[in-house]
Amino acid sequence: MLDFLTRDMLAVIWFFLWCVIWGVYFIVDSFSLGAGLLTPFIAADKVQRIQIQKSVGPFWGGNEVWLILAAGGTFAAFPLVFSKMFTFLYLPMMLLLIGLIARGISVEYLHKDDSPKIQNVLMWGWFVGSLLISLVLGVAFANFFKGLEIAAGGVYEGTLLGLFGPYALIGGILFVLISVTSGALWIKVKTEGALATKAGDTAKKSTIVVLVLSLVYLAYSFVGIEGFTANYSATPVLYALPAIAVIAPILAVVFAKQEKAFMAFCCNLGTILFIVESGLVSIYPNMLKSSVALEYGIDVFEAASSQMTLSIMLGGALVFVPIVILYQLWVYTLFKEKIKETEQVDY
Amino acid sequence: MVELLLLSRLQFALTVAFHFLFVPLTLGLALLVAGMETVYYKNKDETWRKMADFWGRIFKINFAIGLVTGLAMTFQFGTNWGAYSEFMGDVFGPPLAVEALLAFFLEGTFFGAWIFLDRNRQKLKAFSMWMVALGTNISALWIITANGFMQNPVGYEMAVDGSKVIMTDFIALLTNSYVWYMLVHTLLSAYLLTAFLIMGICAYHFLKKNNNEVFRKSFSIAVIVALVTAVMLPVLGHGYAQYVVEIQPAKGAAMDAVWETGSSVPMYLIQVPDASTGSNSIELLGIPGFASFLYTGSFSGTITGLNQLPQDELPPVGMVFWSFKLMTMLGFLFIAEALAGLYLQKSGKLYMSDKYLKLLMWSIPLPYIAITAGWIVAEVGRQPWIVYGLLKTANGISSVPISDVLVSILLISGFYLALIVFEIYLIKKTVVNAIGVE
Repeated sequence: MLDFLTRDMLAVIWFFLWCVIWGVYFIVDSFSLGAGLLTPFIAADKVQRIQIQKSVGPFWGGNEVWLILAAGGTFAAFPLVFSKMFTFLYLPMMLLLIGLIARGISVEYLHKDDSPKIQNVLMWGWFVGSLLISLVLGVAFANFFKGLEIAAGGVYEGTLLGLFGPYALIGGILFVLISVTSGALWIKVKTEGALATKAGDTAKKSTIVVLVLSLVYLAYSFVGIEGFTANYSATPVLYALPAIAVIAPILAVVFAKQEKAFMAFCCNLGTILFIVESGLVSIYPNMLKSSVALEYGIDVFEAASSQMTLSIMLGGALVFVPIVILYQLWVYTLFKEKIKETEQVDY
Repeated sequence: MVELLLLSRLQFALTVAFHFLFVPLTLGLALLVAGMETVYYKNKDETWRKMADFWGRIFKINFAIGLVTGLAMTFQFGTNWGAYSEFMGDVFGPPLAVEALLAFFLEGTFFGAWIFLDRNRQKLKAFSMWMVALGTNISALWIITANGFMQNPVGYEMAVDGSKVIMTDFIALLTNSYVWYMLVHTLLSAYLLTAFLIMGICAYHFLKKNNNEVFRKSFSIAVIVALVTAVMLPVLGHGYAQYVVEIQPAKGAAMDAVWETGSSVPMYLIQVPDASTGSNSIELLGIPGFASFLYTGSFSGTITGLNQLPQDELPPVGMVFWSFKLMTMLGFLFIAEALAGLYLQKSGKLYMSDKYLKLLMWSIPLPYIAITAGWIVAEVGRQPWIVYGLLKTANGISSVPISDVLVSILLISGFYLALIVFEIYLIKKTVVNAIGVE
């Protein structure tokens, strides 16, 4: 299958798909993460909490599968990267796992029990889970862009504490706040009443913070991160990516102020997508960049699977990814009505 | 190094066994609830709506944990089994990625839709549940395709430097006989577990003299499923066992603790294997030639004994033997219970048979135990190999600090304990209050 493509060509195509899948995941999970982060602070009562739950409930599970596809796709297309990424970042990955479990259980069980105490614990479980997921992924990706401490012979010399440098921390906080903004705008779009107003007000402030942080983060990337600009200098057209990553949050601020929540929401998704892609194109051909010396990194060609595996997977992805996108979009249309303040307990 | 291996194995065993507590019920209930939703859509009979509500609620509670604990498996291939992942990625990665693409997206997307669609849109609600059922059952196919390769590698070649396997034939992965024996066995046992859980819950309500039609109807469906699956499991399992003896002689010999090669091997009703002496310390009530019949299909068939196999490639015999015995004994109990249930129901004595109903209630955990024992046979029986004949388990682990693994085991165990306590509490509450039925 697809025999006219060499393994190296397929490896490059898969790197591209890998960037796309991660991008899609960050976009689609951002608003459910944001909803979890915001619920304890903007839901005045159980009625409003249920409004938030209903606004993300039908979608979050299907959206999280993009993360599983990103992990499974890495495993299949770049086994070496999969192995090293999880082994080097063992404890952060475990925190991410705990976050994913806490979020999933909390959101599914939120109102399964009548006791307000248990509901309260689950609401905070949803918050902590969402915080762990967005923070760990933000920190992890900042470290991927900066490079991990991979020394000669592929020996990892990094420490847990070393992962939390200033660049990574800004990345982590940025991811959390982009998610908050995404969640606020989504709630504003999907719900009615006092909750929507409050969410809109939150978004007006958070879009400004996201704008400032995005600019700091991008400036830091281009000025303070070794090797970040190499690909940009070689292929200047790539500058379009960070350029959009600058314009998108500006527009988000403007639209949020004008109460055009859906437009602001789309712009905020643009911010997250283009910040992630700006970083990912900077590390190519590496997938795991080394901060010790460039040649110690693990590159696309070294990590890629065989021609046969890559081509079968490509065929599968070309057929099934569009199908998945179509039926996921269809499910969004099933729940297009705005969510009113009517109590429905058993979700 | 030894401790790291042990801890890595312990963590994987713990997380996979925990995950699989929720998988079988998901596989079975998804199909049943989908059927109930469809019947209600067709006939608008409130009883079927209540059945879908009640069993659907249990499905929801169970599914949520199955979903999130599945993530732990994917993560651990990278975190704890990095060397394995690098060795196997070319072959093992594609089924996992395809599983996400074909199965998880269906499950995840339509589970949410099914929950939040109301009864005004019953057709869509029923359709969503069918998609969930399709997704979960397809998922079983792909993960077992991956596991089948570990049991019986096919469609691959070794890399020139011997560092990894390279896929040469994707179709061979899917047509691997091991996959199909295992898949059928896994699905049947999942449906059996579901049926026994339903019968046990119905029995609880019958004992409380709550002969609501919801429970009577549910019972009559479940008892048929229980009987059919309980009979099919040993009938088809017989072929599976013969196949295992052929493909993995050490696992096969350990299942019945056959130490010496021979023909017309008897099966002992009472038998205690002793790995330290390489023999059975107790052998009583032998049925002549029966082990030969079970494992080769002929009463005079030859079985290779454990003592004649490479001694450094034997699994822990006791663990495999006792797990297999436990599973098969429970299997016969399931047939008896299902037969009794059908008889009592047909003769109209079911609701008065307090002893039988109590037995059914206490039988709810038994299929869980049988399934876990079955997986121990399959996975421990393959030891010391992680990929049969190609990679030893000891060579599959990541070299991570042992303290990290210790921390993660404690973290995950504590978390899982809280989860299961809460899950049982919620299910118990649903059952006792018959939420959705009244």
